[in-house]
Amino acid sequence: MNGMTASAALASGRVRLANVRQISLVTAKMRVLWVLGGFVFMTFVAIIRIGQLGISEVAPERTSMAQALLPSRGEIADRNGLALARAFASYSLWYNPKALGAEGSPLVKTPEEIARALLEIFPDANFADLVKRLKAKNGSYLHRRVLPEEANRVFALGEPALEFPREEQRFYPQGSLAAHVLGYVDQEGKGKVGMESVLEQRLLDPARRGAPTPLAIDARVQGALEDELMHGMLETSAKAAAGLILDVDTGEVIALASLPAFNPNRSDLAFNELVSNRVSTRVFELGSTFKPITIAAAIDAGVITDLAVRYPTAPFKIGGFTIHDSHDFGAFLNVPEALIHSSNVVTAQVADKLGAGALRRTMMQLGMNERPTIELPARGFPLWPRGVNAAGDWSQITTMTVSYGHGIAVTPLHLAAAYAALVNGGIWRPATLYKLDPAHVPAGRRVFKASTSARMRQLLRMIVAGGTGRRANAAGFRVGGKTGSAEKSGGGGYRKTSLIATFAAAFPMDKPRYVVIAMLDEPQATQTTSGQRTAAYNVAPIVKRVVPRIGPMLGVVPDSTRDVDISDISPLVRSGEGE
Amino acid sequence: MITKAQSFRSIGWMALLAVCIALVMVLAFRVNALRSQVKRTEDKIIALRLEQSYLQLEFQTRASQQQLRDWNTLEFGYAAPTAGQYLENERQLAQFARPDAPGAPVPIRVASLDDTVAANAAFPALVSPLTGKPAAAEAPAGEVGEGEAAPRDHGAAKAALGARLARVSALPGADDAAEPAARPAKDKPARALAAAAKPKVLADAKSAGMKPARMATETRSYK
Repeated sequence: MNGMTASAALASGRVRLANVRQISLVTAKMRVLWVLGGFVFMTFVAIIRIGQLGISEVAPERTSMAQALLPSRGEIADRNGLALARAFASYSLWYNPKALGAEGSPLVKTPEEIARALLEIFPDANFADLVKRLKAKNGSYLHRRVLPEEANRVFALGEPALEFPREEQRFYPQGSLAAHVLGYVDQEGKGKVGMESVLEQRLLDPARRGAPTPLAIDARVQGALEDELMHGMLETSAKAAAGLILDVDTGEVIALASLPAFNPNRSDLAFNELVSNRVSTRVFELGSTFKPITIAAAIDAGVITDLAVRYPTAPFKIGGFTIHDSHDFGAFLNVPEALIHSSNVVTAQVADKLGAGALRRTMMQLGMNERPTIELPARGFPLWPRGVNAAGDWSQITTMTVSYGHGIAVTPLHLAAAYAALVNGGIWRPATLYKLDPAHVPAGRRVFKASTSARMRQLLRMIVAGGTGRRANAAGFRVGGKTGSAEKSGGGGYRKTSLIATFAAAFPMDKPRYVVIAMLDEPQATQTTSGQRTAAYNVAPIVKRVVPRIGPMLGVVPDSTRDVDISDISPLVRSGEGE
Repeated sequence: MITKAQSFRSIGWMALLAVCIALVMVLAFRVNALRSQVKRTEDKIIALRLEQSYLQLEFQTRASQQQLRDWNTLEFGYAAPTAGQYLENERQLAQFARPDAPGAPVPIRVASLDDTVAANAAFPALVSPLTGKPAAAEAPAGEVGEGEAAPRDHGAAKAALGARLARVSALPGADDAAEPAARPAKDKPARALAAAAKPKVLADAKSAGMKPARMATETRSYK
C-alpha cells in the first residue's frame, strides 16, 4: 500500500514534470513562431513598401548637365556676340534669426557691433537700417550682390546667422551702356523698358534661352557714340543728348544712345525719368534737318528740274506769320545754296510750289504720321499737323513750316529712317533692333527715285564739304548731312535760347552705309562752341569725332582719294555761310 | 528518396546560383560606383563651367567699353586712325617711294636666273572687254607695236627665257640678225610665244643699241 502510494506519487510527479516540459516547449515554440511571424510581417511590409515606392514614387530628379547650365534668363548679346545682359548667380547677404535655434539670441555679438563691422565692408549701407534688421524677428536681406571677397570678410565675422544664398540675378557687364535698348529686370524678375521687356517670353523659354539673343547693336560703336555724345553734352552744358546710328540698307540700329542714362544693374534705382529715351519716345521739332526731305520730294515730283533757278530770299508774310532766315545770304539763292546756307524762305517757296498734298504724301510714306517702327515698347507719337479739311490736307502755312521742320514733331528715329531712304537709293525700311541676316532684310517701300537719291547724296555732301555742316567733315569719310537748330516751344511761343540742335548725317556719301543722328537738348553757348548755340557749332563736331571712331569698326575705311562727284553742281554755289 | 548524387547536384546548383548572385551584385555595385563617378564628374564640369562663366563675366566687366574709355583718356590716349594711315593696295604703298636723292648709295643689284619672284608678283593678265578672253591671245602678233605696253604672260616669258638660256651656248651663227620680227612670224608653233615675247625683244634691242650678236641669240631661240 505504502509502496503503491509511493510509486503512485512518483508517477504523478513524473507526469507533472513531463507536462511542464511539454507546456514550456509549446510556449517556446509559440514564441519563436511569434518572432518569426513578426519578421515575416516586417519583411512583407517592407517588400510592399518597396513595391509601392517603386511604382508610385517619382525618382529623385537627376538634372542633365545641359539643364544645370541653362541660365534662368537667356543672354542678350550684341551683333558680335558680346554679352550685354547675362544671368549671374551672385551672393546675397541674408540674416537668418533661426540659425542658432529658436531659443536665445541668434547673434554672438551685439547687433550694433555687427552693423558697425558690416558698414566697414559695405560703406554705402545704412547703420540704423542694419541695426533694425539685425534686431528684427524675421529674416531679411542685408545686402544684395555681394562680391566673393566681401562675402569672405563677412564670413570672417563668425556669425552663423549671416548667410550667403546664391541667387540668379541679371547682370549687365557693360554697365549703363545701351541701357535704354536693354532696359532692366526688376526685383521680381520681370523685364522692363527695353528689349528685356520685349523679349521676356523668349528669354524665359527653356527651349530657347540656352542660346544668346543677338541684337543689332554693336557694343563698340555704342560705346563710341555714348562717349562722344557725353563729351559734347558736357562741353555745351546741354541738358541731354541723344544719338542713333542706323544701317541704311537694312534698317538695323547699330547704336542708340540717350544721355544721361541709368544703370540697369541698380534696378532698385532704375525707375526714374532717365528711363525714357529721347530717340524713340520723345518727339521734337527737328528744324532744318527736314529741308533735304522737302527738296528731295520736290526733285522727285519734277518741281525742281533746274538747280540753277534762283529764288528770292526776302522774308515774306503768310497767314500773319513771317517766314525769314537767320542771316542774310544775298537777294537770291538757288536750291543747292539754299541747302548749304539753310534758307527757310527758299525751302518754303519750293514747298509751296510742290504743294501740300505731295509733301504730306512724302512725309506719310516716310512714316512721319505714325509711331516709329522699332521693337522698343515705348514709342512716341509724332505731333502731326492737323489738316484744314476732312481729308487732312495741310494749309499753305503748314506746308511751308513743315518744309523746314517746324510745326511737325517727330522722334530722332523717324528722322534717321527718313535719311536712310534719302541716301540709300530711295527705299524706306523699318528700323529694327534685331540682327538681320541678309536673306531677311525687309524689302521696304520706295519713297524716292534712285536718281533723286543720287542727287541728294551730292547735295548733302556739299552741305558738309562747304556749308553749315563743315565742322562735321571727318577727313576721308565723305560725310554728308544737314544741321538743324530748332527753338523749343514753351511759354506760348518759341524760346530763343532753348534749342534742339540736331545733325543728321550719312557716310560714306559715295556709297552710303550708315546714318548718324546726333542731338543736343538745350545746348548753351560756351567757349568751345565759339559762343554759338546752333547745331553747326555743337553737334556737327560730335559727328566729326564719332565717324572716324566707328567707321573702321564698321568696315568703312577712310580714303581721301574718293568722294561723291559733285562737280556738276558745285559751280552753282557761291561761297558763303549761314545756319 | 534523395540519393547522394542528387543532393550533390542540388548543392552544386545552389553554389552556382550563389556565385551568380554574387557576380551580379559585384557588377551592380561597380555600375553604380561608375554612375556616381560620372555624376560627380558632371557636377565638377558644371561647377567649372559656372566658374568659367563667372570669370568671363568679370573679365567683360573689367574690360567694358566705359572702363576702356577711362583707361584711354587717362593712360593711353589712343586716337582713331586718320585717312592717311590706311593703304588700300600696293599702288598706294608705291606712292610713298621717292626717287633717290643725289649721293644716295647705289642699290645693290644681284644677277639671278630665278624668275619666280617676278612671275609670282605678276599682275593679272588684261582681259579684252569685248570678248572676255585674255588680251594676249586676242591681239594678232603683227599688231603689237613697239611702244605699246603689251601684257606680259609671265609663264610664257619664263618658258621663253629657259629655252633661250638653254640654247645660248649651242648657237653658231649670227647671220639672220637683220630680221628679228620676220622669222618668228613665219614659224607657226612659236607664234603665240613670239607674240608674248617680241615687244620685250624689241625693247631690249633698242636699249642695247641693236647689238647684232645678242639679237641673233634671241631670234634664234624661237625656232
